[in-house]
Amino acid sequence: MYKRNTEMTQRTSLATPCMLFLTTRWMLILLATIAINVVAAGRGLSQSKSSNQPVLKIGSKAFTESVVLGELLSHLGRDAGARVDHLSELGGTQILWNALQSGEIDAYIDYTGTIQEEILADAARRGAHVETESEMREELAKRNILMSERIGFNNTYALGMREDVAARLAIRKISDLKNHPELEYGLSDEFMERRDGWNQLASRYGIKTRRIRTMDHNLGYRGLVHDAIQVTDVYTTDAEIQYYKLRVLEDDLQFFPTYYAVLLMRADLQTRAPEVANALLKIQGLIDPVKMSGMTAMVRLDGKNETYVAGDFLNTKLLMQLELPSNTLWAEWRRIADRLLKTTLEHLFLVAVSLTLAILVAIPLGIISARNERVANVLLGVVSVIQTLPSMALLVFMIPLFGLGAVPAIAALFFYSLLPIVRNTYAGLRQIPVATRESAEVLGLDSRSQLRMVELPLALPSILSGIKTAAVINVGTATIGALIGAGGYGAPILTGIRLSSIPLILQGAIPAAAMAVLAQWAFGKLEKKLVSPGLQPQS
Amino acid sequence: MFVLENISKSFGDLQVLKPTNVEFSVGKSTVLIGPSGCGKSTMLRVLVGLIQPDTGTVRFEGEAMTSQTLMAMRRRMGYVIQDGGLFPHLTAFENVSLMAKHLGWDIPARQSRVTELADLTRLPSAALKRYPAQMSGGQRQRVGIMRALMLDPPVLLFDEPMGALDPLVRFDLQEDLLKIIRTLNKTSIMVTHDMGEAGFFGDQVMMLAEGEIVQQGTLDELIHHPANDYVTRFINAQRIPHV
Repeated sequence: MYKRNTEMTQRTSLATPCMLFLTTRWMLILLATIAINVVAAGRGLSQSKSSNQPVLKIGSKAFTESVVLGELLSHLGRDAGARVDHLSELGGTQILWNALQSGEIDAYIDYTGTIQEEILADAARRGAHVETESEMREELAKRNILMSERIGFNNTYALGMREDVAARLAIRKISDLKNHPELEYGLSDEFMERRDGWNQLASRYGIKTRRIRTMDHNLGYRGLVHDAIQVTDVYTTDAEIQYYKLRVLEDDLQFFPTYYAVLLMRADLQTRAPEVANALLKIQGLIDPVKMSGMTAMVRLDGKNETYVAGDFLNTKLLMQLELPSNTLWAEWRRIADRLLKTTLEHLFLVAVSLTLAILVAIPLGIISARNERVANVLLGVVSVIQTLPSMALLVFMIPLFGLGAVPAIAALFFYSLLPIVRNTYAGLRQIPVATRESAEVLGLDSRSQLRMVELPLALPSILSGIKTAAVINVGTATIGALIGAGGYGAPILTGIRLSSIPLILQGAIPAAAMAVLAQWAFGKLEKKLVSPGLQPQS
Repeated sequence: MFVLENISKSFGDLQVLKPTNVEFSVGKSTVLIGPSGCGKSTMLRVLVGLIQPDTGTVRFEGEAMTSQTLMAMRRRMGYVIQDGGLFPHLTAFENVSLMAKHLGWDIPARQSRVTELADLTRLPSAALKRYPAQMSGGQRQRVGIMRALMLDPPVLLFDEPMGALDPLVRFDLQEDLLKIIRTLNKTSIMVTHDMGEAGFFGDQVMMLAEGEIVQQGTLDELIHHPANDYVTRFINAQRIPHV
């Protein structure tokens, strides 16, 4: 049997939030994982028909194979008459599995090893038998999730080395690594943290290592090529294995479980839209390992988009007549422009809504704090603690509450924006001289009018600068919203990381930076306009 | 105007105002004088309700001061502090007319009242458009006085109003202020530690020490019939330049 499997790993990390605080690796994983594939998700194949048209929501994980399969399912569903929404490149198995159970997605592709080791691990601990595929299928059915027959390939973990390096050192099997403690390892975060990952592998094989670096899966290949590392974890269907001429080490102790790809689908889809459910099941037995790594290679190495690759495969294999996105240069520019517009609108939406809500909540909190020192200690303490949460962790905490998409991202950004505004409102009010406050009081103004006519205008420069800080932080942080399907500039960045495409990364990074600068500038202007000339430096 | 009945105030262990009974009568100018910490500022702040006394009652125009009556009472008091206590985000005009605007005066009414007060306090009309940071100390103080007078209150309270001014500006402003108080026939209560200023303004001078009124009377009475040595020493401590 083969070595390793795909990225089901991330769920482990998701399942144990405390880990989030500890590992920056996590960030990398998630970043790598994400990238909503806006391009792929139904560009040119717009679908809006009657309101009784069934809606199909497909999910995919943040690696190319999963995105291609997600696109393939999207094609099948659309062809069967569904309106399809593909939430692509979501941040890990746990997110997908929860989304599937809650009905935020209807179907996605996962792997038997993942199902056994991750999804049904709890059931197994409670004594359920989930050794065979039919046992897994039975166990999943209890959760109203249908598991298909195999799609046709096994994508497991393996260890890979450059062919020339491996040949020089005469390394063929994983057990051969025991004799080479000098090798440097670059392993993906998922692989480090999985139950069937590195630690167990190393102890099973008795491998001693001098140095292990954890890195994004896609960067591992780069490291091998430049000989910065000599061993990395790979997935057996990775296109890079052939491209970079890697040697896949034999799992001679048969450590890695098998990871056959299967479709997981909500059982209710069969009653709600049987023709769509049946169309999705066409994927059973459809793809052999060579075809799968061929499709991945087309995306990763030839730069074709996933929608095209999946559609092309279906047209050939099933003689379907899907309309494919054009591959001309002009069409590519159109896609870039469309994507820029779409991600800009999404990003603006995330920032504007979360910031507005934060302003509405944070200013009153700042006012309350300024009036009561004890409340201030508690409030400022709480919002400071929120601020110290890694943004990624905060985002993940929002998922159980708000599901996927823009809402949890907005909630996380909202919490993240509170501190600068609360703190600056508090500080702005506190710095008003006692004599000035008393002057307002002695005039005979009620406290509400004192606040409105004197205190807030005097605190305004401080409040606005807090809002400005929040806005800039918010624009930057909103890029991670792509991890949970919120779109925005994070989407091309994360897709770019996945595909090692600098141009794609820049398509997200440059507009995000520009938006931050613009926000800074706009708030500067606003400050000039709103703040009394009496409080501005005299020219 | 004001009657203090058995008023006392402590901050922590320190009794800054011992139980005191005193009356400030209508139309009179009273100056509270004494060294730092004698309780004179505390007494003034009790009168405007910025300090809640520990015991006793303040009566203003016959009515007891409570949290319910305080706001309306303040609109019948004009309060001026050192450097004017102006709001830096408002122009002189806006500072003076803030309360009138809040009470719903229309613009012409506000304008004519502010113009009248500018004449009275001899503030150049160009200064009305300026923000506090753009005015001189004397101008700020005149604006502070205008603001106190805006609603034509029967009583004016001053907390070291000239403290931040240089001598020449102070001299002119003292003249003008006295004229205003006399012309408008206001009751006034002023806190100062300057004996000369006390004599200049006060129909009666009230000397405090360690939270108690040591003596009250005209400056003449304090000089010629001091209640004790302390009064004499305080008066003699004022240095007069020898020419």
